[in-house]
Amino acid sequence: MKLTSEQYDALAHQLDALKSQVKQQLGETDARYIHRVLLWQRLSAISGRILLVLGFVTPWLWLAGVMLLALAKILDNMEIGHNVLHGQYDWMNDPVLHSKRYEWDIACDAGSWQRTHNFEHHTYTNIIGKDRDFGYGLLRLSNDFRWRLRNLWQGGTYLLLSLLFQWGVSYHELAAQRVFFGKKKADRHSQVSDKDLKNAFFGKGARQLLKDYLFFPLIAGPMWLWVIAGNFLANMIRNLWTSTVIFCGHFTADIHTFDAQACENESRGQWYFRQMLGSSNFTGPTWLHILTGHLSCQIEHHLFPDIPARHYPAMAQQVQAIAARFNIPYNTGSFLRQYGTVFWRILRYSLPGGKVSTLNANT
Amino acid sequence: MLGNQPSLSRYLLPVIQRFVPSFLPDVFRARLLSHQWQCTDMLELTLQVSRRWPGFIAGQHIHLTLNHNGRLITRPFSICSATNEWQSMRRIRLCCRVDPRGEFTSLLGTLNIGDIVNISAAQGDFYWQQPTKPTVFIAAGSGITPIAAMLLSQRHWLAPVTLYYRARGIESAALLQPLTRLAERNPLFNLVFSDSREQTAALFSEQFRHHCSDNHTQYYLCGPAGFMQSITAQLVQNAVQAEHIFREQFGVDIAPATPNAAAETVFNSTLISAGTAHNISVSTSQSILQSAEQQGLTPSFGCRMGVCFQCVCEKVSGQVRDIRNGTLSGHGREQIQLCISQPVSELVIKL
Repeated sequence: MKLTSEQYDALAHQLDALKSQVKQQLGETDARYIHRVLLWQRLSAISGRILLVLGFVTPWLWLAGVMLLALAKILDNMEIGHNVLHGQYDWMNDPVLHSKRYEWDIACDAGSWQRTHNFEHHTYTNIIGKDRDFGYGLLRLSNDFRWRLRNLWQGGTYLLLSLLFQWGVSYHELAAQRVFFGKKKADRHSQVSDKDLKNAFFGKGARQLLKDYLFFPLIAGPMWLWVIAGNFLANMIRNLWTSTVIFCGHFTADIHTFDAQACENESRGQWYFRQMLGSSNFTGPTWLHILTGHLSCQIEHHLFPDIPARHYPAMAQQVQAIAARFNIPYNTGSFLRQYGTVFWRILRYSLPGGKVSTLNANT
Repeated sequence: MLGNQPSLSRYLLPVIQRFVPSFLPDVFRARLLSHQWQCTDMLELTLQVSRRWPGFIAGQHIHLTLNHNGRLITRPFSICSATNEWQSMRRIRLCCRVDPRGEFTSLLGTLNIGDIVNISAAQGDFYWQQPTKPTVFIAAGSGITPIAAMLLSQRHWLAPVTLYYRARGIESAALLQPLTRLAERNPLFNLVFSDSREQTAALFSEQFRHHCSDNHTQYYLCGPAGFMQSITAQLVQNAVQAEHIFREQFGVDIAPATPNAAAETVFNSTLISAGTAHNISVSTSQSILQSAEQQGLTPSFGCRMGVCFQCVCEKVSGQVRDIRNGTLSGHGREQIQLCISQPVSELVIKL
């Protein structure tokens, strides 16, 4: 599957036009929307933490508290944090919502996330060997990787990664730079020293642990154990949810992977083309889109990472029409169907062999 | 720390804003009492400031923040009213030149009486330091605002004072009325008005030459950059000591700092924003902030004239020039202000 160079240019032209059309509409409505999400996030966080302590009245209040706290963490990480850190709201010049200033309620340091996710993953999406998000260096998710014995139990590895997802994300850059283990790779260059990486990792991680497992239990007095358990559960729910959403974005059945050499000197059209083939959407009601931070529209997010995410569902229709015009497959389906294929992929590639999904966009 | 925000007020900001719309942290609220046109292009805003606002010294300026279509924009304005008006009634007045093409000042005309705006604490070190010495004030255009505040605030006059005020005709001279009244009342204060359409710049500067023979006289200048540069040069020529000249500059005039740099040069530079590198061309004919914005980037910014330090970024490599005075930076890592820097070489900047 490939396009001619004229087609690549036309594709880039049409997607650029769509982007600038939406960019011109940005204004008061977007500001009001993100402020409202922020308000809901704060209210659910505060009420959740209060309800955890009120668990002595009835455990149901505690359970409601867990759910609200999990909701707050999910909203903070997905619709607010992830999107703000992409610079989607930088144009507002807001004291809180700027990519340079925002810090989120997760173990991963915002700066580290911007380097590994915004830069590495979004630039080299699904290029084997360059996008470390493809399998996170732990899972064999395509035939591009040699089979190893440890892949045999990668179903279990996957579940463990999902449960500890925030720590996986936070350790991601240190693993890539071989800060603690392994031999340094000659082709990797970092703007940040190992020392700074360690400081950010331990600093942010410790802050999160102190907050959830020391400070809030302490001020809860006799309810300290309930608060620890509640915070732990809320973190788990958030971890499972974020990991599930993110796996649905790039590891569904029909996504493609790319060869590093073939992607050198690619044009803007080829970059767009790769983003469309390397990502997948899932459908659902508006609340589901919001809970995923609109990563349910992963294709649109990868095409336009700095456009405020609430525009993705509307843009998706136009992107789908553009894809049809160029005969580019547009990978979407229901949440359950997409997640089913992710799970199958993890199991299938735990055994040797498998279909080759590498694509040469350039040749 | 608890909410991963620098302060509790930042964390609670969305909740506070629900009850107090347009509330912002670290600034003060002020209510618009009236606005009226001082002259054709100068709008005078009267603001009722909050009790928490710490006050000002005549000559200082504030930063005014407005919300335009979901976007917060900030500009500095000098306070033009007397300090006793704030002390007795908590009122300050701003005199703003309105540029109909400007995003910010054209908004000012659309404000309604009773609207809440956000202002910073007063800042700046342009104020009348030694009223006991003979003083010459030289103002042009909207540069009159801080000087008017100084003169109108003065209660005890101890030495002769002259104001040379240059504007494009009486109809575009803001604050001329209260200053004329002050001159009528006060024998020590002398007001000289100069119409720039009738009197040449050379004749204008000829007028205050005779003050230069007295080496106690202090000079206070405020006006466009070019005006202040030429006046300062003339004063220095007439043997006025540099420490007797006090200046406040408004607006950044982008003039090539070296004569042979008049031609525009474009440097390909890398701006790293939110972890992603953007290759853009940065032109020597404007600030890096303007180049970045024109090419779709959105660095944070404030006053856009080097005062508020909101656009400070880390320059990783390359050299920049300070637009205001032509100072060259080093070549390595350092903090720069995007709004008053222009490129001298290719740059790598972390936004």
